[in-house]
Amino acid sequence: MIPNNLFLSIQTSAAIVSLLGAILVVCIVLFIIGTSSVDEEKHQAKGKVYKLRVKYFYGLMAAIVLLLFFTMQTLPYFKHKTTRSDEVVTVVGAQWAWKMDHGTTEVKAKEFEGLNDITLPSNKVIQFNVMSADVNHNFAIYNDKGDIVAQTQAMPNYTNHLQYTFEERGEYHILCLEYCGMAHAYMTGSIHIE
Amino acid sequence: MTSILNPTELKQQRRLLVIWCITFLIIFPFLISLGLMMRMNQGGLADLPPNTFYSYMTMHGLGMAGILFSITLGAANYLISSRYVKLKIGFQYFVYFLILIGFLTLIFATIIGGFAAGWYVLYPLPFIGASWPAWSTALTTVSLIVLGVAWLLGSMHVLLALAKRYGGFSRLMGWNYIVGKTPDEPLPPMAMIATVALVPAVLSFLSAAVFLVMFLFQYFEPSLAFDPLFMKNMIFFFGHVIVNITMYLAVGWVYTLLPEYSKRDWGVDRIFAISWNGSFIFIIFAYLHHLYMDFAQPSGLQFAGQIASYLSAVPVTVVTMFGVIGQLYHSKVKWTMVPFVFLLGTMGWAIGGFAALVDSTIYVNKVLHNTLWVPAHFHTYMLAGVVLYIFGFLYYFSTPEAERKTENYSKLGIWIYLIGVYGFLLMFYLGGMNSVPRRYDKYVGITVGDVQSTGMLLARIAAYFVMAILAGLLVMYVSLITRIAKKFNE
Ligand code: HEM
Ligand SMILES: [Cu+2]
Repeated sequence: MIPNNLFLSIQTSAAIVSLLGAILVVCIVLFIIGTSSVDEEKHQAKGKVYKLRVKYFYGLMAAIVLLLFFTMQTLPYFKHKTTRSDEVVTVVGAQWAWKMDHGTTEVKAKEFEGLNDITLPSNKVIQFNVMSADVNHNFAIYNDKGDIVAQTQAMPNYTNHLQYTFEERGEYHILCLEYCGMAHAYMTGSIHIE
Repeated sequence: MTSILNPTELKQQRRLLVIWCITFLIIFPFLISLGLMMRMNQGGLADLPPNTFYSYMTMHGLGMAGILFSITLGAANYLISSRYVKLKIGFQYFVYFLILIGFLTLIFATIIGGFAAGWYVLYPLPFIGASWPAWSTALTTVSLIVLGVAWLLGSMHVLLALAKRYGGFSRLMGWNYIVGKTPDEPLPPMAMIATVALVPAVLSFLSAAVFLVMFLFQYFEPSLAFDPLFMKNMIFFFGHVIVNITMYLAVGWVYTLLPEYSKRDWGVDRIFAISWNGSFIFIIFAYLHHLYMDFAQPSGLQFAGQIASYLSAVPVTVVTMFGVIGQLYHSKVKWTMVPFVFLLGTMGWAIGGFAALVDSTIYVNKVLHNTLWVPAHFHTYMLAGVVLYIFGFLYYFSTPEAERKTENYSKLGIWIYLIGVYGFLLMFYLGGMNSVPRRYDKYVGITVGDVQSTGMLLARIAAYFVMAILAGLLVMYVSLITRIAKKFNE
């Protein structure tokens, strides 16, 4: 299993990797422009590039296989099937508020009543059953520093199961991450972790 | 390059291209200014009512994707018709006017009517809790049907003409190259790439037709309810394919034109054919990465999404990007506008594509999904990729070989444009890294950490870079517009 944060948050690591990739690309372009005035017979020059291409191809294929293997170890989809959750929370997104309550529910998403804040225990496996009363929303959990730590869509007619274990006590926040109409940017909620 | 058309036909074809170019050069900055207003609003430099912001966002997204595909199709029509197989000029005009009508209707429905459901008109948002009048939903639907029909006809026209000329679909897909039977008459790269791009495009227009007709049913019979997950698959298939193949279609003319500058041939061979057949499949399946956060989607499709996204990098880099390097490495090419802009476009494509690959990893997507990282990556390969390929084409078309050296305005303009573009993009990436959500008209409702202040600061800086983009375009336009207009009577 890959832990959620090795040293840096996933988003910071992603940004660093992308930056390195971009720098590499820019260097290649500068190299091509810088050396383009060298006179070389065209088949010979092309031949060199194509030789490198073969190596690149095998390297790339190996990288893809390895990356697929490692990054697919921890997917958010099956956790609720493989790990027992300590607590279940029902979440309903509606234009334009989050409604949450402990436990499962029998009523339809449209009739569900709940509050936009909730208190939950730390270091327990929490399962959010996320639904929508109207249009698509997206239930995104932010930690207090302002990093997204988990999310899932809230969709009419479907229930998405999101499992998450809050390791730190204190405040977590909810924003809506799927455009749902005029007050989309104000559809917030909070989770207190004890 | 000699043309297969006689002088009158060539003149007609050239005139239509001039009309296409001018249309693009007008609509493009208009849509950028909508983007500028969005960034200003997010940064607190402007104060638009929410419905206005979101109707601009809708028009901007649909308009940009639409105009870039349309001009790319127009340019491809010109190249194919003047070099490989004659396309019917009257029919091309018909498609042009249909697209124009679709665009004007769309502008009316969004900017005046206030339709604001986002480019993806995500079902059932257009019908539930809408703050815009119902007629603007209907009019948007109709305008998209008009555009879809125009694009469908335009694409079919090219595909049928090519199939007739080169002996059917399997020939166009280069299958004879793959099995080792090189044909006597070589297949031009443009012909194969157009096929690989336009067949999925046709499928995506059909998918769009289905959900748009469902929209019309819903409009007239509000009690209907369609499956939202199915609708989401349809819309993202359409949206992903059209943007993806716009890039591929533009690459088609890079393959065609770059050799004229590098003086190195660049044709279809076995590896090329295998690679573009691969792209064909990945284009169709990569859209699945838009639904990673829909946990209800069958998980097999989620795996397929990541695998197809990763694999799509193989043909693109191994064949096309290495191909560009092979064209230019030690080539003594003169860095006039066209090869320079083609190389820079390839650079932007690679940078944006890499950022896209990072985000197409489910493990990463679960924290980057629907943050500003998403517009960051696709704006990179559009603004720093496709748009540069388009400008390369415009310079190729408008500037005679002899004059291509003295282009001070164009060079200055393109540099200002590039500084603006990369600055603007960097703010999007930093926003994504800091978990700033996408599609927020304002960040003031966010009370988490410093997401609000970061988001606003980045948006403000980005707004100034957008002004640089517009200034760069203006400088380029000074010489470009007159040159293109002159071609009308040539
Ligand atoms: C200088 C040029 C451009 C500027 C300033 C600009 C600006 C923006 C902004 C501010 C947004 C909203 C981001 C958010 O979610 O908060 C946006 C969204 C978008 N842009 Fe651009 N953009 C530009 C060029 C392009 C190009 C070339 C394309 C080509 C496809 C494009 C396609 C889109 C799309 C599809 C969306 C999403 C709309 C939606 O969410 O419904 N933009 N752009
Ligand atoms: Cu929302």
